[in-house]
Amino acid sequence: MKKVTIYSTPTCVYCKMAKDFFKENKVDYIEKDVSTDDKAREEMVDKSHQMGVPVIDIDGEMFVGFDRDALSKALEI
Amino acid sequence: MYDLVIIGGGPAGVGAGVYAARKKIKTLLIAEEFGGQSMFSLEIRNWIGTKVLTGLELAKMLEEQLFDYKDDIDVWKGDLVKKVAKKGKGFVITTKKGQKVETKTVLVCSGSRRRRLGVLGEDKLDGKGLAWCATCDAPMFKDKVVAIIGGGNAGLEAALTLDPYASKLYLIQRSDRLKGDAVTQDKVKGLKKMTVIFNALTQEILGDKFVSGLRYKDAKTGKEETLELGGVFVEIGSVPNVDFIKKLVDLDDWNEILVDHKTQQSSQPGIWAAGDVSDVLYKQNNISVGDAIKAVLNIFDYLHKNSF
Repeated sequence: MKKVTIYSTPTCVYCKMAKDFFKENKVDYIEKDVSTDDKAREEMVDKSHQMGVPVIDIDGEMFVGFDRDALSKALEI
Repeated sequence: MYDLVIIGGGPAGVGAGVYAARKKIKTLLIAEEFGGQSMFSLEIRNWIGTKVLTGLELAKMLEEQLFDYKDDIDVWKGDLVKKVAKKGKGFVITTKKGQKVETKTVLVCSGSRRRRLGVLGEDKLDGKGLAWCATCDAPMFKDKVVAIIGGGNAGLEAALTLDPYASKLYLIQRSDRLKGDAVTQDKVKGLKKMTVIFNALTQEILGDKFVSGLRYKDAKTGKEETLELGGVFVEIGSVPNVDFIKKLVDLDDWNEILVDHKTQQSSQPGIWAAGDVSDVLYKQNNISVGDAIKAVLNIFDYLHKNSF
């Protein structure tokens, strides 16, 4: 199974949509809340060079925003 | 061939879909997502019938109500209309996924999207400190100096959302006064970290890997100034989504589809429009629903009066 990490904030709609999408497809994921976790925030910016959530890390490949088709492809679902 | 294709999954599109299904009009609805622009609202208190709900809850409610009629309406979710062209008395629609479909009538409920600045640095720094959703991304700007471009309601609300995080805030307004509700203006004026810069025309977003500043021109003196920043939020209004249909219908100066407000019919027979994509005076969810229903009832009459 691929390792999935989502960097999110509690008030971000696309983060919620992405998490719902993972749940629907039974994809396990780790969530890092960048609004409270300073280290996760730095890690997200370092890895993705992005300052907007969600950022999704699938086995080291970075996805910015919620793109259903791109995520499906990467997760082979 | 369909009798009706509805384009869009916001309140207008869904309202139209429910009515078209109940009228047994042979209908297809095409929507990339459900919910419309309010999807990003944390709190909606003026959706009639529900005291308070989030944008995402509204989106779910709309989608569920539409799918309750799944036997009476076809839905393509996750696709986007790229082109509408005339064919005989009807139309042929092409989507992003390459699907083609023919229909007798079209109801455009495609809403609007955020207006971009159109300045240097905007594309390069998009997502790299240049942000569009304060609700989503405010925590990313903890202890940073942030500018908000736009002094309307959305800009003022972004300032309030960013205040707990940013170390300093600038509000960049192109005219000589703030717009937006008096209540919100008063709240913003109370923010200690905030400096409002009036008559400021943004020229460029500065930065290499991330946003480092902003250059603006004073509209009165013509003098250019630079601000050092860690982030920029843009809230300068919206533009209607009409690219796929603009050759077929008359538009106003703001690119909104001109409609007959009694029926929502456009200048092109067989095409109607409702919601923020139309030249409706007040852009409101509740109004969009009503206008879209008005359109469906008029389409129902049109289908009965015309032969195809």
